[in-house]
Amino acid sequence: MLALHHITRRFGAAVAVDDVSFTITPGAMTGFVGANGAGKTTTMRMIMGVLEPSAGGLTWYGRPLTRADAEDFGYMPEERGLYPKQRILDQLIYLGEIQKMTRGDARRAAIDHLDRFGLAGRMHDHLEALSLGNQQRVQIIAAVMSAPTALILDEPFSGLDPGAVDAMSEVLRTHTERGIPVLFSSHQLDLVDRLCDSLLILSHGRLVASGSEDQLRAGAPHRYRIRVSGDAGWVRDVPGIACLDVDGTTALVDITTPGAELTLPRAALDRGDLYEFARVVPSLSEIYREVTA
Amino acid sequence: MTTPEQLPPPHRPRPSAPWQVVARREVMAKLTDRTFVVSTLVSVLIIGVIVGIQVVLAQRTTTETIAVTDDRAAAVVAGVDAAAQEMPVLGGRTRYETVRVASDAAARTLVADDDADAYLAVGPDGWTLLGRSAPAATTQLFLGQVIADQTMADNAARAGTSLETLRQGTDLQVETLDGARSGLATGVGFAFALLFYMSALTFGIQIATSVVEEKQSRIVEILATAIPVRQLLYGKVLGNTALAVGQMVLYTGLGLVGLSFSNYAGIVSSLAGSVAWFLVFFLAGFAALACVWAASGAMASRNEDIGATSGPLMWVTMIAFFAALFVPDGLWQQLLSYVPVVSSILMPMRLADGNATWWEPVIALLVTLAFGVAMVRLGERLYRNSLYHTSGKLSLRQAFAGTDQV
Repeated sequence: MLALHHITRRFGAAVAVDDVSFTITPGAMTGFVGANGAGKTTTMRMIMGVLEPSAGGLTWYGRPLTRADAEDFGYMPEERGLYPKQRILDQLIYLGEIQKMTRGDARRAAIDHLDRFGLAGRMHDHLEALSLGNQQRVQIIAAVMSAPTALILDEPFSGLDPGAVDAMSEVLRTHTERGIPVLFSSHQLDLVDRLCDSLLILSHGRLVASGSEDQLRAGAPHRYRIRVSGDAGWVRDVPGIACLDVDGTTALVDITTPGAELTLPRAALDRGDLYEFARVVPSLSEIYREVTA
Repeated sequence: MTTPEQLPPPHRPRPSAPWQVVARREVMAKLTDRTFVVSTLVSVLIIGVIVGIQVVLAQRTTTETIAVTDDRAAAVVAGVDAAAQEMPVLGGRTRYETVRVASDAAARTLVADDDADAYLAVGPDGWTLLGRSAPAATTQLFLGQVIADQTMADNAARAGTSLETLRQGTDLQVETLDGARSGLATGVGFAFALLFYMSALTFGIQIATSVVEEKQSRIVEILATAIPVRQLLYGKVLGNTALAVGQMVLYTGLGLVGLSFSNYAGIVSSLAGSVAWFLVFFLAGFAALACVWAASGAMASRNEDIGATSGPLMWVTMIAFFAALFVPDGLWQQLLSYVPVVSSILMPMRLADGNATWWEPVIALLVTLAFGVAMVRLGERLYRNSLYHTSGKLSLRQAFAGTDQV
């Protein structure tokens, strides 16, 4: 497993990453979310050894992460780029060889992946002849083709059509099934929600939330919606709850004292009919908005 | 950490050294690049045409027909013909034939009708060469020489002595303190210098461009995380050096083969040694310069910046070129022939001149190699520190002072 321990990175006076610690588990997909400039790319560059942390350290299976370890990682940098004027298959073979594959293995893996992304017919084209979305697919292939020991992907899904997103998810899943840790950043929260086993939320260089989706939800306040026959204004006076909103017969409340939710239905029935009493499960975007606010 | 510690996956072995992979890509990218292939073919074509002209000229024979009326004149023409065969002349050989006619009038008619190029007559007052217009300068020269020799030999015999005795002590020996540079050595040296200069500049700029293109397209981030920067640098330098030396071997080989078919065939064997030295020095000097070029590419972040970061290098290359060509013979030449890069031009020139002993090129080579290693280190440092600069060009001071590690 890959762990960051109190990592800080400064650029001059600016602090890009501030005392961040987290662990990426093998066999799991970890989503890395945060606004532009939150420090995701800087963090990933420190994992890959492109940047040195100003403070803190990284470990790989409990011992300090070395350059040799990172050489076995698959990396998709934020700034995309391959050789525009070279044939697609040729440059994938080259990038495979750079990543310790034999020429033959690199060739097989490149063709196999191109086939999976529906680009088998274009392998002898120059890269620049491809659409941006297709160039992105080639870039992804370059990161995953060598069966790396970890995958660090900066915005792998940006610019992909739904079909490519599915193919990409499929490919990433085969890698988590091999038991390697996968970390990818994304702005598409629904996608992260769908794919990830675990989430890291970064805001202004600080890690503001982390854990599995359920853990994040468990950490969020218990919220209930209640709809009654009369005016719901009375919920404001019920002890142990915080009333967020009252709109005629409907109210939205957070439970501040555990167990207080049990008193609500009874109190409602004492005053009239109870039409609805339900737990409101926050979506990931709501959790995100809450923790980054 | 809540999960139990496992062992990290073992590092995968590398099937081949990264620099080899990089070097092979550089070579393959060039060999499949139309511009490179076409320009090489055009150069080969130009050399082929020049060589072809030499070969054709060498095999061309012109014939001068000389009308004669007696045996003495015929013997002189035969002597001239023999002398001309021993003396190779640029532009082919000339044969001298005689046409024997009975009378002076018949000989004059032959010349007037253009059936003979000239008429060689001998009378009591001496020799006369008659042509419609002035006979060819070489014909006059050769005939004059042979006639003078024969007549003087006859006169000497009549005076009871020999031509050799008469000539004794008339030779003027020319000696110089500095050792004169022969015309041929100067020509060969100039050709070497020009080849070195041109390929150092064209390949140098290509190396710088190939580095900046990787920066510009950002593939460098993938490369620099997968292999050590030094290996990337070595691969680029060695791949391009192999290409440049390959081109040189092709060009000089073609030139030597061509020369061996020309009238200069005799000097090819003596040139081959100088050319071998030239290639060795080219290899060392080029590799050393290539590292600096790679660094100058790394200091730029866009193709447009290359001009600014590589300007000083172009000057250094140019100064080395002119210094090597125009330094006067003597102490300065000897000193400069040990200075890296300049030595790549000057030392082969001194070797072609024959005024350098065997250990001098060896020392110059060692100096160049040491310089090359130092340049690789320096280039690597510049390269690392400037690799991630993606906007504008980097000043030399920034490049040296960079703190980000790769």
